[in-house]
Amino acid sequence: MSLATVVEVKDLKVNFYTYAGVVEALDGVNVSLREGEILGLVGETGSGKSVTSLSVMMLVPAPGRIEGGAIYVKNDSGQNDVLLMDDASLRSMRGKDISMIFQEPRAYLNPVYTVENQISEVMLVHREQEFLKNALDALEKKRRGSTVEAKNYRRMLKNPRSLGARFIQKFSSKKTLKNEVRKEVAKVLKSVEIPDPERVCRMYPHELSGGMAQRVLIAMALACNPKVLIADEPTTNLDVTVQAQILNLVRQLKKDFKSSILYITHDLGVVAQLCDRVAVMYAGNVVETADVFEIFGSPYHPYTRALLESIPNPEKGFKSIPGIVPGLINPISGCRFRDRCSYAMEICQKVKPQFLEVKKGHFAACYLYGGSQ
Amino acid sequence: MASLAAYIVRRLLLLVFVIVGVTVLIFAITMMFPPEIRAYMYIGNAEQARPGVIEQAIITHGLNDPFYIQYGRWMSQVFQGNLGWSYSSGESVVSAISGRWVFTLEIVMFAAPIIVFVGIYLGVQSAIHRNGLVDHVCRVASIVGWSLPSFWLGLLLISVFSGYLRWVSIGPLSNAYIDFIAEGIKSHTWVAYTGIHLFDGLLNGHPDITLDAVKHVIMPVMVIVAIDVALLIRVMRSSMLEALNKAYIITAKAKGLSKNVVYYKHARRNALIPVATLSGMLVAGLLGGLVITETVFAFGGLGSWAARAALSRDIPAVLGYAILSAVVFVIANLIVDILYAYIDPRIRLD
Amino acid sequence: MNVRSSFEELKVSMGPRVKEWKFMFLRIRKNPLALAGLVIILFFAAVGMLAPVLAPPPPGSLGVFKIPKDMEINVLTPNPTPPTLRHIFGTTDQQYDLYYACIWGTLTAFRTGLTVVGISLIIGLLVGTLAAYYGGMLDEVLMRFTDIIIAFPGLILAMALVIAFPGKIPINLSMLFVVIFTLVSFVLLALRPSKKLLLVVQALLILSLLSILYYPLSLDLTLSRLDKVLISITLVGWPGYTRVIRGEVLRVKNEDYVEASRASGSTDFGTILKHIWPNTVYPILIVATLDIGSIVLSAAALSFLGIGAEPDFADWGQIIQRSRAWMSRPEQLIGNMHTFLIPGMFITSFVMGWNLLGDALRDVLDPTLRRR
Repeated sequence: MSLATVVEVKDLKVNFYTYAGVVEALDGVNVSLREGEILGLVGETGSGKSVTSLSVMMLVPAPGRIEGGAIYVKNDSGQNDVLLMDDASLRSMRGKDISMIFQEPRAYLNPVYTVENQISEVMLVHREQEFLKNALDALEKKRRGSTVEAKNYRRMLKNPRSLGARFIQKFSSKKTLKNEVRKEVAKVLKSVEIPDPERVCRMYPHELSGGMAQRVLIAMALACNPKVLIADEPTTNLDVTVQAQILNLVRQLKKDFKSSILYITHDLGVVAQLCDRVAVMYAGNVVETADVFEIFGSPYHPYTRALLESIPNPEKGFKSIPGIVPGLINPISGCRFRDRCSYAMEICQKVKPQFLEVKKGHFAACYLYGGSQ
Repeated sequence: MASLAAYIVRRLLLLVFVIVGVTVLIFAITMMFPPEIRAYMYIGNAEQARPGVIEQAIITHGLNDPFYIQYGRWMSQVFQGNLGWSYSSGESVVSAISGRWVFTLEIVMFAAPIIVFVGIYLGVQSAIHRNGLVDHVCRVASIVGWSLPSFWLGLLLISVFSGYLRWVSIGPLSNAYIDFIAEGIKSHTWVAYTGIHLFDGLLNGHPDITLDAVKHVIMPVMVIVAIDVALLIRVMRSSMLEALNKAYIITAKAKGLSKNVVYYKHARRNALIPVATLSGMLVAGLLGGLVITETVFAFGGLGSWAARAALSRDIPAVLGYAILSAVVFVIANLIVDILYAYIDPRIRLD
Repeated sequence: MNVRSSFEELKVSMGPRVKEWKFMFLRIRKNPLALAGLVIILFFAAVGMLAPVLAPPPPGSLGVFKIPKDMEINVLTPNPTPPTLRHIFGTTDQQYDLYYACIWGTLTAFRTGLTVVGISLIIGLLVGTLAAYYGGMLDEVLMRFTDIIIAFPGLILAMALVIAFPGKIPINLSMLFVVIFTLVSFVLLALRPSKKLLLVVQALLILSLLSILYYPLSLDLTLSRLDKVLISITLVGWPGYTRVIRGEVLRVKNEDYVEASRASGSTDFGTILKHIWPNTVYPILIVATLDIGSIVLSAAALSFLGIGAEPDFADWGQIIQRSRAWMSRPEQLIGNMHTFLIPGMFITSFVMGWNLLGDALRDVLDPTLRRR
């Protein structure tokens, strides 16, 4: 893993054990997210984009199970394999080092809690020390540095796991602390361009429009300044105008905070506008990864080519890819695209091609570019 | 923003409407009876209950007039506090109720919280540890519990604990203490502060009476709990499972929240919402089940009074109890609904 | 598009649905609890059907549901006797044979459960679907009405109704027919069926009107005590079904395929029959199965209170009612435990069978948990 890579997914295999059979959703996926870039993860429904992103956070829902590979994440203590992390480390990583936003924003917000409650929640989990210090400073400024409240905060700072601290946590009023958090929540809401943040704080998810809700979700993801943001089709369910606003926002975030973003979408237009590099997925594998201009200008993998050709063009008419995506329950041997590929060779039926660097920075998994033993 | 207050006002209006409807329905049922029996609905004291007086009453109260006139007359009387005469217990309905409701309360005040807290806790645990030991045990116990006839369970418990082991007698209190209290009231050494023996015992400096009351209330409470908690566990479990499948749970986990917070803060609150409609049913089950349970355990509360009244075709009593139950039920539903509008802000738009 | 072609289209659309049902049955077969429930129910069904063989009514019996009294032992003692060869489950006071009561009680239980559920379902389907599908004022009125009935704790209203019903109800049949046919014609007018059907109904309506004027029909309906129990429980129970069915129809009504069906020219009735009802059947089935148990328990409770079936009627609740005599004397109660222990076990297992089946059905038919 090079110094500039923040997330590296290596040969990831994920299976879903269902009543209908074992679904081999991911069969050796390779993705690297470099520092400060927006990597687009493109593919049809069912290609495995969401599963890949959920795996990075170890959030694959049952009956799914990660069956092989490694996911390296760079954080303060170097690089670690997420698959080997214990629960506490995972929880510390989620929301702080890596955050995620999702497709249907209102469904992903808890309907019975206010916006403020849900955002402050993640802040308090990861930034509690910072807020306690701020609260103490605020109290000192008001000459209230020796009140019971201040003493409570000091106790919480000193030993957060102690019985006393936990009691205080549950039963004391913590007004100043809450104020500090509230200010920060308003700040982060403003940073995602939500007008009138104080009012929105008190609202419930069902009172928000789609675009607003998605901004809230983004705000929640950014609340603890993560280095990596995973966006799973955040604009798919939104109006085009709102989509444009959100995309602008994402671009701004990359500029202002130098975050690395894994942007999942099936919309090639969004990819072209937004991403620095693109990874194309098909039926559980990444088939090609390259710089965005390379992908659009000289696509290597036959699937990528067919995908680009199928973009509706008034002059050329509609061209679709013949055939359908293969089932993943008893997957076909060899390259999963072979039945629809115009360049299929005999070896394609037998052995799956390796994911190789064909040109500098341009990877593809296809026998057209080598890889046959 | 939808306000809680507006919601409450709307529900109160609905409540008034329903109660009026309830009285109309009850009155319609009374009209199925011949005038001689209906006359008892209007009698308020012992004087008027004598045979000769009844015929007078039929005429004075115009029991052969059209429906709405009679209804109006009856309602005005009800508002004056006269619910009729219970000939099975030889007193006015109002006095029968006021004398007996404390015993019913003794049972309910233990049974209701136990059902609610145990039911919610076990339901949530069953869902969290799905297909674990707790889940399977609860499931079997629920199905058995929900299938038991309450009177049968009561009879069994009486046979074993009262008949065989002789630990407690049936009824709200041991006979010795009943006599003791009766004498105490006569000689003014006993003050019935609340009318509930359980509390009066402590307040009069007799904790042994309180203990005895508790011992006697255990079996009726056990019967009611065993049957009603079963349903609550099952519904809580399935509701919690559904909540755990929701998208916002993934968000919660993605924020790095601990399992406890995810389950108890995020999932459980949402899971409690559909349980609300059920709580209404539970209260109904409680009120209805009390009739049987009090009869079996001879508890002397409203339920056993209503049961005996039904047997003797004592219409004012049965209908008085019906109206009371309906009002209590409707108010309980209202409280539950308000509670849930508090928990789920989406409902306030309803 | 008339009613008949709607039915034919229903048959055509059934193909894939049948496959779905086969999948369901497979899931049910694999579920041990469902199987247990089914076995219990089938066992009781067998007992019920073989009742004349298992417990033949004695010669000179006044009715198959009247529990025979052993007059010989009755001369010696009216007290209950424990199980002997002569009376396999023993006898109650007055020497009623418990075995006979339990066996024939099975039939009573089935009758109670299935009748009440059946009628409540029918009423619920009609009222609930009408309310949900047409909405508006009709919905409001119907729902307020059901609200009032649901405002009563079930057992208590049933109690009041049972003692209120007179034994004999004189029914003016002609009037009844007029009312029925008027309602039916209104409903049909809304559903726009074939002309023939409408003509038939209107002809019947006119006939009944004529009969009132010239040849009134009336009937004296005698209600046995058990009938009163069944009617009361039905009257208390139908709003519950109405609510559930209305909820389901509302849910399905807003689905896209309903709108598609109406856009393609189906009559309302056709849409309801082909699209709405088939998609609501699962939750309703679950509710009905679970409810049979509750109904039997309620009927038993009413009998236990003494306002249910007649004193010598073969009904489980009724036979336990006889044990009330010793309720206040626990020592005697335990001595005569057989008088309530075995009938109670019959009730519990019967209800448990239905509950097991219903509970398992709920798990099996839950669309979110399927195919995982």
